[in-house]
Amino acid sequence: MIHEPLSQGAPSALSVPRPATVSAAPGAPGARGVPAAPGAHRDLLDEFEAGQLANDFDAATPEEMLEWALARWQKQLAICTSFQAEGMALFDMAWRIDPAVRLFTVDTGRLPQETYEIMEQVRERYGAAIEVHVPEARKLERMTTHFGPNLFRRSVEARLLCCSVRKVEPIRGALDALDAWVTGLRRDQWASRANIRKIEIDHDHGGLAKINPLADWTAEEVWDYNRAHDVPVHPLYARGYTSIGCMPCTRPTGDGEDPRAGRWWWEKNAPKECGIHCPLETGGLEHELEAMLHGGEAER
Amino acid sequence: MPKAPEIEPDWELVRKRNFVERLKHEKGGLAVLDDLPAMIAAGYEAVPEEDMVRLQWYGLYHDKPKLGHFMMRVKVPGGRLTPRGLRTIGEISQRFGRGHGELTTRQNIQLHWLEMARLPEVLATLAAAGLTSTGACGDNVRNITGCPVAGLDRDELFDCRELLREAADFFIRNREYSDLPRKHKITVSACVHQCNAPEMHCIALLGTLRDGQPGFAVKVGGGLSTWPRLADDLGVFVPAAEALDVLRAILDVWREDRRYRLSRARARLKFMVDDLGPRRFRERVEARLGRPLLDGTAPAAPASETDHAGVHPQRQTGLAYAGFPVYLGLMNGEQMLRLADLAAEISGREDGREEREVVEIRLTRRQNFILANLPAERVPEIVRRVAAIGFPLAAGNLRRLAIACTGNPFCNFTVAETKGRLRQIVDHLEAAFGEQAAALGELRLNLDGCPHACAHHWIGDIGLQGTTLRERGAAGERLQGYDLFLRGGLARGAAIGRPVLRRVPGDVVHLAIERLCRAWIDGREPGEPIQQFFTRHSDEQLIDIAGVPAEVLAR
Repeated sequence: MIHEPLSQGAPSALSVPRPATVSAAPGAPGARGVPAAPGAHRDLLDEFEAGQLANDFDAATPEEMLEWALARWQKQLAICTSFQAEGMALFDMAWRIDPAVRLFTVDTGRLPQETYEIMEQVRERYGAAIEVHVPEARKLERMTTHFGPNLFRRSVEARLLCCSVRKVEPIRGALDALDAWVTGLRRDQWASRANIRKIEIDHDHGGLAKINPLADWTAEEVWDYNRAHDVPVHPLYARGYTSIGCMPCTRPTGDGEDPRAGRWWWEKNAPKECGIHCPLETGGLEHELEAMLHGGEAER
Repeated sequence: MPKAPEIEPDWELVRKRNFVERLKHEKGGLAVLDDLPAMIAAGYEAVPEEDMVRLQWYGLYHDKPKLGHFMMRVKVPGGRLTPRGLRTIGEISQRFGRGHGELTTRQNIQLHWLEMARLPEVLATLAAAGLTSTGACGDNVRNITGCPVAGLDRDELFDCRELLREAADFFIRNREYSDLPRKHKITVSACVHQCNAPEMHCIALLGTLRDGQPGFAVKVGGGLSTWPRLADDLGVFVPAAEALDVLRAILDVWREDRRYRLSRARARLKFMVDDLGPRRFRERVEARLGRPLLDGTAPAAPASETDHAGVHPQRQTGLAYAGFPVYLGLMNGEQMLRLADLAAEISGREDGREEREVVEIRLTRRQNFILANLPAERVPEIVRRVAAIGFPLAAGNLRRLAIACTGNPFCNFTVAETKGRLRQIVDHLEAAFGEQAAALGELRLNLDGCPHACAHHWIGDIGLQGTTLRERGAAGERLQGYDLFLRGGLARGAAIGRPVLRRVPGDVVHLAIERLCRAWIDGREPGEPIQQFFTRHSDEQLIDIAGVPAEVLAR
């Protein structure tokens, strides 16, 4: 089913993606950006359109959302995953709609072996070429030479630097080439995610569209889906992990223990919510990172 | 596709899907105050993130980074402050903060750098001066706004300050109305200029007279943020004595319908009004009230926007009010103290039961203030003294009308400079137009750092919303850009603007704005407002007009 959410003036799902204002008007200020590769299009939503779509799609199922987004953006859309339950469910749904859907991840260099195992499993099961982004070699060399491989244990700032070089910058690089990305953010995860919309403009990453098809799902619904569709499950869940990231920085949490204890548990004086509640997908991590590493830009 | 579920969800489902509903159910926002001493004893580090969210119910948000400093939003109902009130806020800024302060677009004052351990003292200091921050953030009835010259203006239909105060007092700390589906914004006024922006409020009571009796038309369902919507006329006349009952009934209809609690993305009143339409919404309100409402029509929108700036005689013989610009809305603690001292000195006292005689400081929607109840003969002297505090009356329209949200370095949401960027733009326009600046008339620049639209970018003459560029800086850093919103406005031409120019780099955005302004000045029909000029040009034409010189782009 192709979804037709808007009555007035919205591009239909099957319309040829139109170039963004920017490339349509040579000499316009926005044309300053890196020129798009030949043949590549820029189909960027504007804020008004995104607001209307988010309202229209608020009660849509994840599959409806994905079907519409895949039809609109095709190869200019990709799913971002760290192979946790949400990302796997989304990929499975999208793959059933379009087996050519793009899937990307970041290999930070410090991932647990189990993550590589599930990557292989996904490649095999879906015949999918997972796009793997890695940290910039020179930055990594400089960082580890200067601060050592385990700098994240020294201070919150050092950990944020490590997150920045190993994860944030590679993801930003991947997003630069896209017009839309799909995340597994869910509203029931945390207060600051309770307001997320299913379609947003990602102003933290150059204004591409951010699609959150699972916004109104609970964790239980994600697991139900994965069980029903025999979706590969990251092996560390079975060992008590609730959140899976770099190996040295995540650990299992016991029954009844706060899942927040599963990330950067040694840190003192870390910003509130800087653990699992303000990830890169919401922009929160980058805001903290910039404020802590570079200070307030405009001290009034 | 139906946007609201046809079957009303039960509380279990609401709490399952909505984190904030769950959090409020476990412990209400207001209840966090009882725990504050224990939280302080345990130390900031040990305080659960959930309680940080609950502090919003006392007008507190984390500053950025979230390391223990807070922004506090002090509510000022109707924008009315006594000298003592302003002095108290200034003292808090200096004693507990770092001297910062800013006026907001909803007649609040915001302070920064407050520490958790000092909050009990801060709250007690506020309360002692009759002020509060309770309900200034969170799922509450936010500050109730009104016309800043209520009770003074000669054109005002009637004085509704009493009702505004009564409504504000009723909702503050009222547990029933402190667990709303989301935030809620009310404005009440009988200003003939409708200076309080009734078009963009959840509920607006618009003063009107029927057979000489004061009452209100009601508009509902306005709001900006990511889904901007102009309010609908409910088509009723409410006698003044029944106004609070009707406000309550509207809030009841919304807060009791769990359909609007399932998804916070659709929890504001505007979504319900949009789903039902004004007619069916009115029926729901009447059913809740248990009686029909009288038919009526909202007063026509005024020709243009008004902010009551400058010096004007009051309704009261011998008194005058004067509206002063506050550049960027920034008023520091020391300025608050000096202004409060001046106001008290003119009044001859601090506070008074006969409020007509005390010099009040009235906050405006465009982040400025008005001094009320000035002895007319002393106005020139007062204007000189206020200028010495940093608020020259003749600062120019651009500075007076330009507004920006809080932004960096404090706000956790912003992706771009706000007040700093606005300063750069205004300074540039002043320099570029020089003597010609008068030709810009009452140009309204509204600049926001994120889509939440605290500075109303959808309805400025030129609205700006911060974003980031795809391109990187030399060190790989993010570069700031702005979407430019054109064709929006309030009053007779009320319309939601559109982001016609997208991702204009921050370092050239002032040039794009200058070009748009020049094109309007050179190409306008006699008396043509900028909104109309933008409306009769296509997107492509406007993009072409704003084109930034190649040498700048090559930088």
